[in-house]
Amino acid sequence: MGARTVERRANRVWTWIIAISITLLAFYAMDHLVMSMQGLPLDWDLSPAQ
Amino acid sequence: MNSACYSSLQKPWRYWPLLLIVGIIGLSVDGFSSAAFAQTVAPEQLNTFVVDESGPDVAEASLLPAPTPQRADYPNIGASSRSIVWVIAQMHLFFGALVLAVPIFVLIIEYIGFKAEDDRYDDMAHEFMKVSLTAYAITALFGGTLALSLFLLYPHLMGYVMRAFGSQVLVYAGLFFLESMLLYVYYYGWNALRYGNRKWIHLTLGLLLNAVGTTLLVVANSWTTFMMAPSGIDPTTGAVIGNIWEIMKGPLWNPLNLHRFIANIAFGGAVVGAYAAFKFLSAKTPAEKAHYDWMGYSSNFIAILAFLPLPFAGYWLMAEIYAYSQQMGILAMGGILAWLFVLQAVLICTILLAGNYYLWTGMARSEGSERYRWLIKYIATALILGFLVWVTPHNVIYTASEIGRLGGGNHPVLAPLGIMPAKNIAVFIMLICTFLSFQLYRRADKVITVSWQSWGNALLVAIYVVAIANVIFAGVYYGYFTNTVYKVGSSVIQVMSTVVVIVSGVVIDTLMFKGAKTLHVTWGKVSNRSQYALFALPIAFTWLMALMGYIRSSVRTHWHVYTVMKDNSPDNFIPTLQTVGNMVTLVTLLFLSFLLFIFWIADLSSTRQVPLPTGSNRARAETAA
Repeated sequence: MGARTVERRANRVWTWIIAISITLLAFYAMDHLVMSMQGLPLDWDLSPAQ
Repeated sequence: MNSACYSSLQKPWRYWPLLLIVGIIGLSVDGFSSAAFAQTVAPEQLNTFVVDESGPDVAEASLLPAPTPQRADYPNIGASSRSIVWVIAQMHLFFGALVLAVPIFVLIIEYIGFKAEDDRYDDMAHEFMKVSLTAYAITALFGGTLALSLFLLYPHLMGYVMRAFGSQVLVYAGLFFLESMLLYVYYYGWNALRYGNRKWIHLTLGLLLNAVGTTLLVVANSWTTFMMAPSGIDPTTGAVIGNIWEIMKGPLWNPLNLHRFIANIAFGGAVVGAYAAFKFLSAKTPAEKAHYDWMGYSSNFIAILAFLPLPFAGYWLMAEIYAYSQQMGILAMGGILAWLFVLQAVLICTILLAGNYYLWTGMARSEGSERYRWLIKYIATALILGFLVWVTPHNVIYTASEIGRLGGGNHPVLAPLGIMPAKNIAVFIMLICTFLSFQLYRRADKVITVSWQSWGNALLVAIYVVAIANVIFAGVYYGYFTNTVYKVGSSVIQVMSTVVVIVSGVVIDTLMFKGAKTLHVTWGKVSNRSQYALFALPIAFTWLMALMGYIRSSVRTHWHVYTVMKDNSPDNFIPTLQTVGNMVTLVTLLFLSFLLFIFWIADLSSTRQVPLPTGSNRARAETAA
């Protein structure tokens, strides 16, 4: 396996890791925002704060 | 004078829609009075009011309480008044939905064709209007029959409603005249106003037509919502004390306006899709097949695209019904009417399955679809699982021995699937999967060339995966393991997750399609089976509208106007589910029969008889002799 192929695969893995991480973070923030706007705050682990 | 100003002055017709909208708003805001014209009377004056300067008779009439008709006051014509009005009203609503919705997407298609300078769009839009025009007269006939039936069978109710809405009903009639004139000019002026600046006049006519049509819709909706959640009246006596605007803008008016507006477009798209399928199956030449295949695809696109946000609008309407009266809400979704929501699930799943199936078979038009075909089996599996969860009832009526074998009143495994959190998960995943089918279809004929495509694809996949996980997490965790308030609130998380998928899917794809290579699409290269999916759509839509319309109306129970005017007619009860099923099926079959007639008439108008050979009549007469 050539060095370029290994590098390309590593880049692809990083692309997926970054994409998934950004999306998870965005949805996590959205869950907090949506529930807070309804007067239903959440704890950091998404459990009900009230 | 700069060129922009000069150009604007050269085309003053561009401002007509603005003037019309301003005019309509002006009329709506106190521009005309309710018959009771009691806006000068404050509620606290209600019991002390004696004489008004406008005259004692008039002033007292304005404070008349809601009528209280007795059983003998209802005319008996030997058949159920409710059933008669039910059938006629539903038929009027079906046709009204069709003729108001079709011009909306026709205008958009016409504009796209004009900007793209592609006559195919123009021809398709014109043909859609032909179906709508044929249905228009039938809409008016059912509307007139409905008005006569209501005045004959429910005179006291109609007297009260007329007292509340007053001269607004004449504005409605005036708008109807305007709608008719605009519709005929729009349709028959199509070819006379086809190119250049004349096209702008035609588009303006289309915009005016839609402005008037939508105003008609919201005006008629105010009558419906007044009966469900009356406003502008004294709640104890039912006396009309508000002005026309206060009477119209009840708590359910805007939710119903939005819900019907979107639903009408989905319904209209489905109906013209069936017309395209009808023409495709009877097409003789490849060119005809290609044209009607494209028309069917466009119709399905409109129907499903409008259908996707419909559950959100329905959610808002139902939430407002709950907020207005918990009794109403619980009756609809927790009482006898809840069983009808199981039928609703079957019908909505039919629509989603048919829409998805049509897209999957349609992908065969492009060779590029091979790249995405492997995903179809997973989407189909998710749709079927969603369907099974959605139709699972919570409380089933068991025999004593069945309860003994189950060990209780609920099934140990399936019972949790019968409640809303499970249904919500199923619904939102089905919507996400349907959008995925759309996205795959759109990508099937494209080869993306942007340098960041691996990032774009990774982000899209991540959004789908995380959104589905979020929908399941919110449904399971908040739905089964927290309190009711969080359970209800978490459904907004599910709505937002679905919306994020749809919006980001459209945005990312639009950016990725820049500079993309487009593969050849062979229109007409689609199986006949796919056309039957186009027939399934309007059948399921029609049934669904009849069913949900009944539920919406039935939550008033034994009230003509909720909590204000009691229904004392022989039909003042919620009918059995069997009766409801039969009535809903009857109106569906009736509408479909009329629809076939409309398709036939629309087809007949484009049929031209081949001229007979000269002297053939004489020759035939001689042969007969």
